[in-house]
Amino acid sequence: MNTELCRIKGTREGLVITISEADQFSEVLSSLDRQLQASQSFFRGSSAKIYLEKGTVTDSQMDDIERLIGEYGMRLNREPLTRPMPRPQAEPAEQESPEVREDNTLLVRRTIRSGQRLHYDGNVVVMGDVNAGAEVICTGDILVLGALRGVAHAGAEGKIDATVFAFRLEPTQLRIAHVISRAPDEKLPQPSGPEIARVVENSIQLSVYNH
Amino acid sequence: MGKVIVITSGKGGVGKTTTTANLGAGLAASGQKVCLVDTDIGLRNLDVVLGLENRIVYDLLDVVEGKCRLRQALIKDKNFGENLVLLPAAQTREKDAVNPEQMSELMERLRRDYDFVLLDSPAGIEHGFKNAIAGADQAIVVTTPEISAVRDADRIIGLLEAAELYDPQLIINRVRPDMVRKGDMMDINDIDDILAISILGVVPDDQDIIVSTNRGETVVTDKKSRPGQAFRNIVRRLLGEEVPFMDLQQRKVMHWFKRILSGEAQ
Repeated sequence: MNTELCRIKGTREGLVITISEADQFSEVLSSLDRQLQASQSFFRGSSAKIYLEKGTVTDSQMDDIERLIGEYGMRLNREPLTRPMPRPQAEPAEQESPEVREDNTLLVRRTIRSGQRLHYDGNVVVMGDVNAGAEVICTGDILVLGALRGVAHAGAEGKIDATVFAFRLEPTQLRIAHVISRAPDEKLPQPSGPEIARVVENSIQLSVYNH
Repeated sequence: MGKVIVITSGKGGVGKTTTTANLGAGLAASGQKVCLVDTDIGLRNLDVVLGLENRIVYDLLDVVEGKCRLRQALIKDKNFGENLVLLPAAQTREKDAVNPEQMSELMERLRRDYDFVLLDSPAGIEHGFKNAIAGADQAIVVTTPEISAVRDADRIIGLLEAAELYDPQLIINRVRPDMVRKGDMMDINDIDDILAISILGVVPDDQDIIVSTNRGETVVTDKKSRPGQAFRNIVRRLLGEEVPFMDLQQRKVMHWFKRILSGEAQ
């Protein structure tokens, strides 16, 4: 499974495409294409940097990458990484057992407002609200210690047991892995307490949270 | 050194220009030296609202490009003279004719001579908005109790934070207490819940505004006008250095609004 020559990861510097063997460039490109296809529009609108583990790429190869990711609505950021990728050796193990990633959690100490979009490889905890018009997308769980009114996509790379938790769960749209649900058109009475959303039999179910 | 405050909203038509004109006139009436700057290049109308259109000779761009001295471009208000001046926007040019660095430099010059510099921002989040916020050290976000205006205000607050203009204050404009009472309009609590920033004031909707705007006058000096009273209150809060009393003040606003709702306030 772990034979891909490149990997796309959300980091604190934004998206990074890590190329493990740049000398096999055409395979790198097709691997990238395959992964982007599988992710559908997950990365749309974001910009990515390139990190080379081994080998070099020419300017024209960079252009090829730019063109390819452009087809998926992404931009290429040609600036170098400000620091090396964290623990590049740990990554293969990580892919084999998703549990290793459990500690990979981003803490956001502010409200995410309309027009703002947050991508993260791991779990996201928002100490504030996620307002309508904002998006939070991550590969793990989402916890909002406030009101979730925008779009939340948990388990975006297919983790079907991912959950979305909010003190007030009133999202425009909820996505967990490949399952999508939207808010009902008519106003329903809202429970005043925290709620949690998870996938049950291929649809997203909300329940009052009691631990 | 004076304060530079940008008045912005994202959505058009929520009353930025009217708010700028009224706060400016209100501050001037309180003895402050005020300069209003129209940053809506190509779609100026602060001059029209103040009834000063026929006095424009030079504009903001002429100043920035060195075609005239700053003082030559500043238009004195009809009622307040030296205490309320307007730097009009250019009407025949494009928004990108000026850049944020030039705006910052201009604001530094203006704040030396005035207690308050109020910037009327254009609608939108593009170049004109970036120019308007460039030299500001404080922001006032204007919204109306409509879901689209509140959404845009939320977007703007995010952009202001990204531009390191923290703690913007909110003015909720055109509130119709009768509609709020019947549940047909978002109430202040709904808006406060979503935007969660401190509320500087709530301005009721009133036909006075339309009448005075068309005459090129401001309602803030009209003692009988309800929106005029609301603007006078906002002016006092601006002068009262609100930071230490933010929490208390918010309650005061709420209290005041509730009084309007219950028909106690005149």
